[in-house]
Amino acid sequence: MMRRLPARNLAIGAAACLGAFLAFALAAPQTWSQAGPSQSAAKQLPPRMGPPRPPAALPRADQLSPVPVEKIEADISTRSVEVTTGFTGHEILVFGAIDNSQAPEEQTGYYDVVVVVEGTPFPVVVRRKSDVAGVWINTSSVTFASVPSYYAIASTRPIEEIAGPPVLERHAIGFAHIKMTPAPGYKWGFKDYELAAFKAAVIRLKQKDGLYVVENKDGVTFTGRSLFRSTIALPANVPVGPLVARTYLFRNGEVLSAHIARLTLQRAGVERVVHNFAFRDPFSYGIIAVVLALLSGLAASAFFRREAG
Amino acid sequence: MNIYLPIAEMSVNIALFLGMGGAVGFLSGLFGIGGGFLLTPLLMFMGIPTAVAVGTGSMQILASSVSGAIAQYRRKNVDVKLGVVLVIGGVVGSVIGVALVRVLRQIGQFDLFVSLSYVTFLGAVGALMLIESVGTIRKSRSGQPVSARKTGQHSWVHGLPFKMRFHRSKLYISAVPAAMIGAFVGFMAALMGVGGGFVMVPAMIYLLRVPTSVVIGTSLFQIVFVMAVTTLLQAMQNKTVDVVLALLLIVGGVVGAQFGVAAGGRLKGEQLRFLLAALVLLVCLRIGWDLMARPGEIYSIGPLLGGI
Repeated sequence: MMRRLPARNLAIGAAACLGAFLAFALAAPQTWSQAGPSQSAAKQLPPRMGPPRPPAALPRADQLSPVPVEKIEADISTRSVEVTTGFTGHEILVFGAIDNSQAPEEQTGYYDVVVVVEGTPFPVVVRRKSDVAGVWINTSSVTFASVPSYYAIASTRPIEEIAGPPVLERHAIGFAHIKMTPAPGYKWGFKDYELAAFKAAVIRLKQKDGLYVVENKDGVTFTGRSLFRSTIALPANVPVGPLVARTYLFRNGEVLSAHIARLTLQRAGVERVVHNFAFRDPFSYGIIAVVLALLSGLAASAFFRREAG
Repeated sequence: MNIYLPIAEMSVNIALFLGMGGAVGFLSGLFGIGGGFLLTPLLMFMGIPTAVAVGTGSMQILASSVSGAIAQYRRKNVDVKLGVVLVIGGVVGSVIGVALVRVLRQIGQFDLFVSLSYVTFLGAVGALMLIESVGTIRKSRSGQPVSARKTGQHSWVHGLPFKMRFHRSKLYISAVPAAMIGAFVGFMAALMGVGGGFVMVPAMIYLLRVPTSVVIGTSLFQIVFVMAVTTLLQAMQNKTVDVVLALLLIVGGVVGAQFGVAAGGRLKGEQLRFLLAALVLLVCLRIGWDLMARPGEIYSIGPLLGGI
């Protein structure tokens, strides 16, 4: 039973096993994948974010002459980004134009544009440590029902200069205005300022991980009277799932128009195969892991011909 | 060059992790240890989530012990009957351990539990080894003969029921303590991502009085089977086995071990044990420091792990 296997046979066995693993994973039904068929691109901003608010394009009461209303339109340079084994981040371009721009001449700060790229919201548990008999232990936690996995913001100027807090709050623009509500049943025992500290911690930690970012470099820049562009660098650790790019047109601290575009971030290649396999068929994945470990261990020792002890 | 780890969900430098596997492999070869207790904390320091470090650790240990186990079996250094008793206990311990990992992760205390376990075991084992090796070094310097431990003494272990005859170990003892040692090691393996040899070997020698000739082989036999079961269970229940990460570590590890074995041949046994004890205590102190020192950030965030 314990015949010495030549290294070559083992190497072939290992290769065959790896092949079988990939074939198996590929053959399994593609149900788990989050990323659906890439959503058709652009549509007007649906009432997705919290409280009701006036329609996106407000005809202003003080408009006397029937001046055509400004409207913002935007798109993203790509519909889908693939996270492969070699994924190290990806730069996307959010660009668009202002219809009926009334800017007097080449951009002079007449309009402001804010681009927010937001990842899928997920429940997040925030834990706080405290000193228990000299050891730092997680002693309290709050679960937030939905926290955007990723949040990047780019703008023509710092957002505080563009609009006041109520407007920013209404449109969830800026880290301080990200919608985060504690999951039902997780409020007990926490005062408002404590919840605020937990919320601040989420933002701080996400910033530290590079997942909540302000695109400082140029932000949003105008070309001519109506064209604008903004580059957003998705980091390597950006969680997969659909992303939403919201674009707002501001004038005098008010939102004139808003637009929404989507892109999906999906696993691809070996990365996708392995991840989906591990979560869809954990038993087979585990068996393959064991076989791979055994084969690689045996192949290595056969290769080095060592008499380990 | 970077590679994206599918389960840990992060992009890591290939050379760095191959090197880490190599360094731990070198030390394993040098000291004749599995190295799980070095590798798992190292992965944690590198930012791999604790649960993934522990789950992937089992797969790496499986790969690094299988060839040793087969070599020992060929040389007839495995007491298969005793090994089977240890494996049965080990599987039970592993099942309990893997289930506990899940519960501890849900309540947010897994990292704490792992750190406390490491500090306790590494502190105890390191201190014992340090005392023993310093004593041996002193004795050999003063010219006294280094006496081997007496065997054949009876202790409370020999009064227990379910006695079995283990021919190769020349023992007639109860199966209960063997199964319990196996279970404890399996439990530790699942929680800490170690093989558990550093607990099992002394327990077999001092509690069961197993002859030293079969101790290593029999414990490797147990480790291979229990690690295979633990890898499978971690993959199924906790989904924390990263095959890509494990393969990086395995490749680095087998190469490093070759150099370690060669280097180990030039040092004396008690010197090796002294160095190993120092290393064990260093890892223990480092983990202990992280537990005791005031953290820069007292908050942490993680995904919600529901009742899957």
